[in-house]
Amino acid sequence: MAQDPLCLLCVEPRFPGRLGAVADWLVRTRGYRCWFYCNGVGPRDHWPPSTGRGLEVVRFEVGGVARERSVPWTRSLERGLCYAYGAWEVLEARRPGPIDVVLGRSHGLGSTLFVPAFAPRAPIVNLFDYYYLPRSYDLADDLAHRLPPDYVRWRQSANAMDLLDLENGVLPWTTSEWQRGLFPPEYRDDFFVQHDGVDLRRFRGEPRRAGSRSRAIAGRSVPEGALVVSFIAPEPDRLRGFDRFLSLSNRLIRERADVICVVLGGGPVRRGLDVEHFGADFGTLALRDDPPADPARLWMLGAVSPETVAELLRTTDLHVYPSRPFVPSRSLFEAMAAGAPVLAWDAEPVREVLDDGRTGRITPADDPERAALLALDLLADADTRQAIGEGAAAVSRERFDRDRCLSRLAGLLDDLAKRSYSPAIGGR
Amino acid sequence: MDVLFIHQAFPAQFGRLALELARRYGWRCRFLVESLSACPTPSRSMLETLEIHQVPVDPPRPRGGLPWPQVFGGWLEQCSSYRSAFDRLGLRSDLVVAHGGQGAPIAFLREAVSAPIVNYCEYYFPTRFADLTYRVDLPPAEVAPFYPRCINAPTLIALQNADAGYSPTRFQRDSFPERYHPKIEVHFDGIDTELYRPQPAGELILPDGRRIGPGERVVTFVARGLESMRGFDLFVAVASRIARERSDVVFVCAGSEITYYGWDNHHTGGASSFRSWAMERLDAPADRFAFLGHIEPEALAAVLSRSDLHLFPTVPFVPSWSFFNAMACARVVIGAEVAPVLEVIDPGRTGLVAPLFDTDRWAELALEVLARPSEFEPIGRAAADLIRERYSLDACVPDLRDYFERVASGRPPDS
Repeated sequence: MAQDPLCLLCVEPRFPGRLGAVADWLVRTRGYRCWFYCNGVGPRDHWPPSTGRGLEVVRFEVGGVARERSVPWTRSLERGLCYAYGAWEVLEARRPGPIDVVLGRSHGLGSTLFVPAFAPRAPIVNLFDYYYLPRSYDLADDLAHRLPPDYVRWRQSANAMDLLDLENGVLPWTTSEWQRGLFPPEYRDDFFVQHDGVDLRRFRGEPRRAGSRSRAIAGRSVPEGALVVSFIAPEPDRLRGFDRFLSLSNRLIRERADVICVVLGGGPVRRGLDVEHFGADFGTLALRDDPPADPARLWMLGAVSPETVAELLRTTDLHVYPSRPFVPSRSLFEAMAAGAPVLAWDAEPVREVLDDGRTGRITPADDPERAALLALDLLADADTRQAIGEGAAAVSRERFDRDRCLSRLAGLLDDLAKRSYSPAIGGR
Repeated sequence: MDVLFIHQAFPAQFGRLALELARRYGWRCRFLVESLSACPTPSRSMLETLEIHQVPVDPPRPRGGLPWPQVFGGWLEQCSSYRSAFDRLGLRSDLVVAHGGQGAPIAFLREAVSAPIVNYCEYYFPTRFADLTYRVDLPPAEVAPFYPRCINAPTLIALQNADAGYSPTRFQRDSFPERYHPKIEVHFDGIDTELYRPQPAGELILPDGRRIGPGERVVTFVARGLESMRGFDLFVAVASRIARERSDVVFVCAGSEITYYGWDNHHTGGASSFRSWAMERLDAPADRFAFLGHIEPEALAAVLSRSDLHLFPTVPFVPSWSFFNAMACARVVIGAEVAPVLEVIDPGRTGLVAPLFDTDRWAELALEVLARPSEFEPIGRAAADLIRERYSLDACVPDLRDYFERVASGRPPDS
């Protein structure tokens, strides 16, 4: 019989990453015991509460090309294999066990690929983020006429790790139908589609009263009567549409004296997807090209703690989500959970989440004027903002409540463990 | 019909097939390859009939291959070289037929080619207890748990970039994940039964000048490499036992000393080759063996024609074409009791089988065949009939022509 509670092995390149919150929920609400294998760890203020209390973080080292900050495009899979091997090496050395079920995410790097060499019977659920199409979605549409040949080739080959994982006996999991639809038809039916949800408790606050409260964001007071327009991304990059946001914010600041634009996130572009800006500080470059109309009213707060994110989303009057078509950001779901009215740029993944006019506003991706007019309309109409925000919060409670989302995932994990378990797992 | 064949080497799997398509149906067959094989070398008629374009490979690959984590990167570089050559040469065709494994890269051709791409689906490596990991009697190689989990990356990318695929045998098709089976048909590519045919046994003169006269019995073993995956050491064990029982048997082995598959060098403890390791470990009577190295098809046909018994102790893996060749020559073949062999051999009718690791059983069967050859002659004849009817060029080339035409025209399989 499987152990009760279950012993979970998580593998992800960084902690807490995406699975950290999932593991935390499973530990806290279901009593799981979890070993979280990762190569790097984020700042402590991002660690979930159960870290060290049922959720044990184990770091593995990587060798070979994985030690290099970036590698030629042809060596991407090799880099990922170094991560997968690194995870296996520490598993083999520490031999945690018994392992009832494995939860993995390669995120373009190492994965659970070699976990079966250690625990051949443990079922694996693998989170798949994104399957690259050579010339579509993310930034490819924008770069259509200037895509470097090697970049296209990288996109054509970057799915290798995902394909290997998909053939490694895992149960594939992804968080939206749009993401599932990107994968080759041969694999789509296998997917478990379930968003990992938002912790709604973090976004509960006093009801919004447009511009009337005394508010502070990261210690900075928002002047009474001001309207806050927000943008959040780990790095203000082109993929998430920081350039679009900047253009909009300048227009709003010029048109309305009461608008303050707040940007959370900072640092150089880490995603290889933006081949033109990888490693560069896109935020700074964008500000150089499109200087703020009023620097005092564009607050660039940099990387902040999750509490500050929640603080902003609880108080923002308009959250802008100008992302290029890509995996929907956590901030989009968090904004909805906080009851913030969202203005998003049209894209298939956005339409799966937002219902235009009811739970958000969607603007054509190629029409900045329309976006500006929509934003100005929303800023001028507190009732509509309120209604849309409440619609978003209702959808969030219905579809993106972490307790509900992860209950389904836990049901799947429990079921897999029960079905597959027979004598002790752990070791060859 | 204008077909572009893509492979790392020429003639390899496609050379003879293309020659037949050109000769029989007037098809224009062009090749994009890296190198011309040293053995078998391209025939004169191939070079005269087929258009061969060579792809410059940069950088040259190291001898002994790349370490396993780098294989995919090496393949991608190869893919880029092929794409550049394709663009430079402007090779438009009605159909592209390409090897879909590491040996012939099509990944970056998808966008450049308007014609359908057919993938030659040679083999998909399972994660365990098959091919590379089947020899549980040998010390496990350190890389065994990892290599099979990542070596299929080029194959998967190629499958995603192809419109259709075919495997020569059902076993090879079935090695692929089931989800891809609807995309992969089974079409064998044809044995040259003019060359490999039943012939009266004559005197065999070996490359070292040794003459094998009518009074001697010949037991043959043929593989690209004399390695563990093809059961060379098991052959040596059986041969040693036969040698003890009969003094009139010569063991003729064709194949190089190189290990092409697997990690024989990991467990040979510094021996110069798996062949030397196996011969020494089993204390085999070296003077009873003849090692021919790689030989040209004509020489192989001569050896197989003179064989009294052909042994094929392979692990479950792509069947050697020499196995078919031996059967085409009406030889009695004892094969390992594994799926790829059982797909071809009907035990007791078109050949004999024995459990791979049961060398006593192999020796017992072999001694029976050698002792009473006339009793087993019908098996050899039935094997030759089978090859002629189902696996010969005459049987297979029209089938492949129909398949290629169907894919080129975009028709579904059952139309």
